[in-house]
Amino acid sequence: MNIVTKKWIFLKISSLILIPLMFWFIINFTAIYDQSYSEIVSFFTNPINKLLFCLFIIFAYFFSALSISEVFEDYVTDPVIKNVANILLYISAIVIPLFTIILLINLKV
Amino acid sequence: MENKSPLSPHIQIYRWHISSLVSISHRITGIINIVAITLICIWASFLTLGETSYDFMRFFFTSVFGKFITLGIVWSFSFQILSEIRHLIMDMGYGYELQMTRISGLVVIFGSFILTILIYFFGKNFF
Repeated sequence: MNIVTKKWIFLKISSLILIPLMFWFIINFTAIYDQSYSEIVSFFTNPINKLLFCLFIIFAYFFSALSISEVFEDYVTDPVIKNVANILLYISAIVIPLFTIILLINLKV
Repeated sequence: MENKSPLSPHIQIYRWHISSLVSISHRITGIINIVAITLICIWASFLTLGETSYDFMRFFFTSVFGKFITLGIVWSFSFQILSEIRHLIMDMGYGYELQMTRISGLVVIFGSFILTILIYFFGKNFF
């Protein structure tokens, strides 16, 4: 299978998974964003919320990295700049969610 | 060697249509969303630093600017949800008629504002 076709399929699968996760997250985010520290910690220490949030950031970064690399493909002419931008994008899409998940796993009430 | 691959047409050359507005907004909200998700990760990570350090975050989110940013994030996510659903429907081969692309584009644009209000209302009152 062509690499571009594979990328398109991954984009569509991640989009299908991300839509309900995004919906779940923004409703809960509006409910807790201005609450006290203890209420937000109790939200994130709930195992179901923790799992859904971790899945949300993994798929959100995966989907965003694929979509933004398409934007680079369409608008960046210089291949060196495009490659550097893509490498930085993919590294941050792995490091940021991984770091956040490790911190959240260790979060205690 | 000079890169001969074609780039997307310059957005200032062609006359604007609903579908072009939805397309460029989809890309802009995609970039806003990755920034928003990064801020959300920083916000969640701040929790591990303890209550005193988190006070700074709470001060930000309870301010008018913080609430404006929150509403902006909700709108950007709402736009992406509706626009992605539109894309998935079109990927299945539906909604390519000119009239239908205009209607679905308008649904995405106006629907994103309605969805933002509904999500904020439900989030604040029922969760």
